[in-house]
Amino acid sequence: MPDVSTALSRPTPLPRRGLERLDLMLLCAEALDLNGGEAMVWMSEQLGYQSLFPNRVELWKRRCHNPLRRSTRRGQLQVQDTDALIRILSAMAERLYPMVRQLLSAAEPESVSEQRWALFRSRLQELIEERLNLRRVGVRKLLDPSEGPQLCHQLILSLALCAGNGGVERLKASLLDPEP
Amino acid sequence: MIKLSHRYEQISCRLTVEGFPDVSSGQGSQAIGILTGWSLALAGHTELEGKRDHLEALLQVVAPYARHLISGAPRAFGDPVSPVAVHPDGSRHRLELRSSQPNTPPMALHLDDAELADLVRCLDQLLLDPRLQLNLQAPTPQPLRRSELRKRVPLGRRIAAPLCGMAALGLAGAVSWMVPIPKPGSFNPTEGKGTSSVAAPGNSSSSGKSAVQEKTPTPGKTAPPGKTAAPGPAEAPAPAPQAQTSQGTGTRPGSSPTPR
Repeated sequence: MPDVSTALSRPTPLPRRGLERLDLMLLCAEALDLNGGEAMVWMSEQLGYQSLFPNRVELWKRRCHNPLRRSTRRGQLQVQDTDALIRILSAMAERLYPMVRQLLSAAEPESVSEQRWALFRSRLQELIEERLNLRRVGVRKLLDPSEGPQLCHQLILSLALCAGNGGVERLKASLLDPEP
Repeated sequence: MIKLSHRYEQISCRLTVEGFPDVSSGQGSQAIGILTGWSLALAGHTELEGKRDHLEALLQVVAPYARHLISGAPRAFGDPVSPVAVHPDGSRHRLELRSSQPNTPPMALHLDDAELADLVRCLDQLLLDPRLQLNLQAPTPQPLRRSELRKRVPLGRRIAAPLCGMAALGLAGAVSWMVPIPKPGSFNPTEGKGTSSVAAPGNSSSSGKSAVQEKTPTPGKTAPPGKTAAPGPAEAPAPAPQAQTSQGTGTRPGSSPTPR
């Protein structure tokens, strides 16, 4: 078992659960932003990852290492790829932070908040049904009416806490968590 | 020297730090190297003020709390005597602040997820600001330990596997206990060999007994420890009357076997 205290000091590939969560959070960003796929490519160029992801297909191929995908790819994702995806996600979360905050705020009227959550969950459900393997237990939990809302809330809260440059290391550390 | 002030703002949170550049260590005129005070204004709450120690205490508890929260394993940070403590309170987060002045009761702020995220982002901006050269101590985010994440799994799911294992072990033990143990001395390896030659067709008495003893293995393979595998005629115990009929085919006493 890798030493927890030095896990971030040396490059460590993301475990299976970490890859799943990273792709799910990118999927949440796409559900929040109707043009999220394009925004992700644009953000990748802005952050200088053109050599890593020269086009959207390369970006999609890296994301397909998520074991929950319909067309999953085998093999370990390189550390530089996962670092780039984490930075892209943090930059997108910062851009989408006002929407994320609205979803999390308890000061909003309850009816408005429920409508926002329903809209977000319906978009996320469409994306999940389109791209993920619906036979996997983790995917079925996300679509479950009783467990799904809590998991969606956790994903949105994680997006809020990983927004910006300060959230990059926090998100990376959480993706390196061992399986309980 | 002009007092410098830097402000970090989010929707419901504003953090202001004030201080002077530390000229003796060669800092620029826009850098704050000596902190004289800071204030934190959270929407709908009283404005907080403090010194460097309080700011470090706030960083020491809020940063790891956010780290645990992003993994979905929230837990309390800060002991009852520390100036700042934070712990989950239902769907909200309770931030407790204790004044260093005597006879001042602690103040508790209940923050929702959005307000906590605003506070965390303000503190992130403060830590990453190159103009602040205060060398503030904030814990580096690290992966959580397996034991810290175990609380995320419901108790029923955690204990289901050990309970099933113990139940299976108990069931297997009960079944094995019900199987009768053979009595010592009831098994004689020479019986099968002896009776095959001396069995008289008319002496067979019990079909049930013979059925059990038909399964008697060859003496050389299953001799009990301490006994010779094939004892000589002098050492061999006298076969019991029933044993002489053990190789019988279950015929009634007095009846002759049917030739095949």
